[in-house]
Amino acid sequence: MYRRSLGAHVRASLEYEADFWILVFGVGLSQCVGLVFIGAVFAKVPHINGWGLWEVVLMYSMMTIGQGCSELFAEGSWDLPMLVNRGELDRMLVRPYPVILQVCSFRLGMNAFGTLAVGTVLLVTALARLHVHWTPARAAIALLVFASALVVKVSLTVIANASAFWLRGTISTFAAGADQLGDLTRYPLTIYGVGLRAFLSTAVPFAFVGFFPAAWVLGHGQSAWVGLLTPLAAAYCVTVAVLAFRFGLRRYDSAGN
Amino acid sequence: MDEPLIRARALTKTFRRPDKGPGLAGSARHLITRKYTEHHAIDGIDLDVAAGEAVAYVGRNGAGKSTTVKLLTGILVPSSGEVRVAGVVPHQDRIANARNIGVVFGQRTQLWWDLPVRETFTLLRDMYRIPPERYRATLARLTEVLDLGPLLPVTGRKLSLGQRMRADLAAALLHEPPIVYLDEPTIGLDIEVKDRVREFLRDLVANGTTVLLTTHDLGDIEDVCRRIVIVDGGRIIHDGPLAAVRDELARERSMHVQPAVPVDLAAIRAALPGTEVSGEPGEFSIRFDRFAYSAGQVAAAVMGLAEIRDFRIDEPGIEDVVRRVYEGGLVESPTGAPA
Ligand SMILES: Nc1ncnc2c1ncn2[C@@H]1O[C@H](COP(=O)(O)OP(=O)(O)OP(=O)(O)O)[C@@H](O)[C@H]1O
Ligand SMILES: [Mg+2]
Repeated sequence: MYRRSLGAHVRASLEYEADFWILVFGVGLSQCVGLVFIGAVFAKVPHINGWGLWEVVLMYSMMTIGQGCSELFAEGSWDLPMLVNRGELDRMLVRPYPVILQVCSFRLGMNAFGTLAVGTVLLVTALARLHVHWTPARAAIALLVFASALVVKVSLTVIANASAFWLRGTISTFAAGADQLGDLTRYPLTIYGVGLRAFLSTAVPFAFVGFFPAAWVLGHGQSAWVGLLTPLAAAYCVTVAVLAFRFGLRRYDSAGN
Repeated sequence: MDEPLIRARALTKTFRRPDKGPGLAGSARHLITRKYTEHHAIDGIDLDVAAGEAVAYVGRNGAGKSTTVKLLTGILVPSSGEVRVAGVVPHQDRIANARNIGVVFGQRTQLWWDLPVRETFTLLRDMYRIPPERYRATLARLTEVLDLGPLLPVTGRKLSLGQRMRADLAAALLHEPPIVYLDEPTIGLDIEVKDRVREFLRDLVANGTTVLLTTHDLGDIEDVCRRIVIVDGGRIIHDGPLAAVRDELARERSMHVQPAVPVDLAAIRAALPGTEVSGEPGEFSIRFDRFAYSAGQVAAAVMGLAEIRDFRIDEPGIEDVVRRVYEGGLVESPTGAPA
C-alpha cells in the first residue's frame, strides 16, 4: 500500500519534473560540499581525535543514506504544519490506514535518489578502504545495525515534524532546526563536549545513525559495543514517533470550512 | 438491535480561539499573554440514528453541522460526552470506524490532488482491502450511475466542481460502507448535477445505507430523508419527521406576481380573504396558508382580476425552518427521536 502510494507519486512527479536528472546531479553536488570540508581537514591532519579519513567518511555516508531514506519515506512529514493548519488531515483520519504513514507518503522528496546514490557510493568506497574482518555473523549484525540506524534517522525526522501539532505554525522552522542537529553527527562524536555527546546519544539519538554503528563495525574505541544498541534506539525512536502522532492527533482541531 | 447505529450523548466540542488583536502587534502580544476565548461549537447533542435511517441535519451557517459530522467520524475528539458508531468509539478506534463509514465533505475534496482519479480509486481499493471482484463490480456500478467514465484518467486538480463531487462520492462509497456522512454534497452544483446527485442519494438510502446528510438546500432532503434534525448554536432545536416540517412550512407560501397591467391590490385582498398582499400594483406578493388556499386557487383568483405576465412561488429555506422552530410553529417533541 505504502509502496503503491509512493510509486504513484514518483510517476506523478516524473511527469512534472522533466529535469529529473538535473535534480539528481544537484543533490550530488550539495552532498559533496561536506566531503570537500572533510577532505580539507584531513589534508592538514591525519587523524581527528583518533579517527582516520575513511572512518569519518563511513559515518558521513551513513548519515547521507539516512537522509536519503527520510526524503524517500518521510518527506510528507514536512508538510505536516500545512496539513494541520488547513485541516487537511480530515481526509486521512477517515481512512483505515495509520495517519502517520499517510502523512509520510503524502509527498516524495525528488532529492532522495540523488542522496541515496551519493551515500551508497561513499559507504561502499569507505568500507573497501577500511580493513574490516568480515565474518557471516558480523555481516548479518552489521546489516541489522545499519538498517536500524536508518530507521532512527527517518523516525527523528518524523518526530521533529510532529512538533507541528503543538507549535501550530505554518512552516517547519523548528523541525528544520532539529534536523540540522543531525549534521553534527556526520563527524566523530568524540570531538564534542560531554553534554552535547550525551544529548546526541540519548534524548535525540542522532549518534546512532552514523557514529555508533560505524564505531562498532570498525571495532574502534572502548565504546564500540554501543553500536549494538542501535536496534534499541530504533525501537525507541519509532515508539516516540507513533506516540507523538497519537497525542498530536488528539489536539488536532481540523479547520472551519 | 438494541443500540442505535449512531449514538451520541451530551456531546460537546469547544474550540479555543487565540485572542489576538489585529495586525502584527496583536500577534506579538498574543505570544506573551496567551489569552484564548472558548467557543462552544457543539453544546450537548443527543442523537440516535437507527440502521437504515436517512437523517437530514440542517441549520444556519455556523450552527455546528460540520463539527458534528467531524465528531461522529472521529476526526475531532469531543471535549465531553459520548459517541458510539456501530459499537465503536470513532476517535479511539479510528481504523475500525473508518471501515464502516464513507464521508463526503462538499467543501473539500478527498481525492489525491496530483493523481488521476483512477489511481486514487486503486489506492483506496488497497487501503480498504477490497477484493478485486468486488471492486470491479462496485466501480462499474458507480461509474455508470455517476457517469465517471470520462473522469477516470483526469488528474484530481483538473476536475470541475461538479466532476470532482461525483468522483468524491464514488471515492467515499467504493468500499460500500453501511454508514455514509454527507456534508453539503450539492454545494455549488448546477441543477443538472444536483439532480443526479440527489437521485444517487435516493438509491443509496433505498439500498439500506444509513445516511446523515447536511445541507442548506431543502431540495436535497425532500425525497431522501424521512427525518429532520435542526441544529442551532450547537444544540438540537428540533428532531422529528420531515413530513411534519414540510407541512408546517408549506402552510405559508409566497406567490410573487407580475401582472400584465397594474391591478388594484385592494381587489385582490377582497378576493382572497385571510392572505397578506404586499407590494405595488405592478408587482406584488401574496402570502397564503396552504391549507386555506391551494396555489391554483390563488392564481385563479388573481387571473380573474388581471392577466398575469409572470409569477413564481418561493420555496421555503432553512432560515424559514429555523425561524418557525423559534416561533413555536413546530409542535413535534424537540428532542425525542422517532421510534
Ligand atoms: N477548527 C475550528 N477552530 C475554531 N472554530 C471552529 C473550527 N471549526 C468550526 N469552528 C466554529 O464552530 C462553529 C460551528 O462550525 P461548523 O463548521 O460546524 O458550522 P456549520 O453548521 O457546518 O456551518 P456551515 O453551514 O457554514 O458549514 C462555527 O462558529 C465555527 O466558527
Ligand atoms: Mg459546514
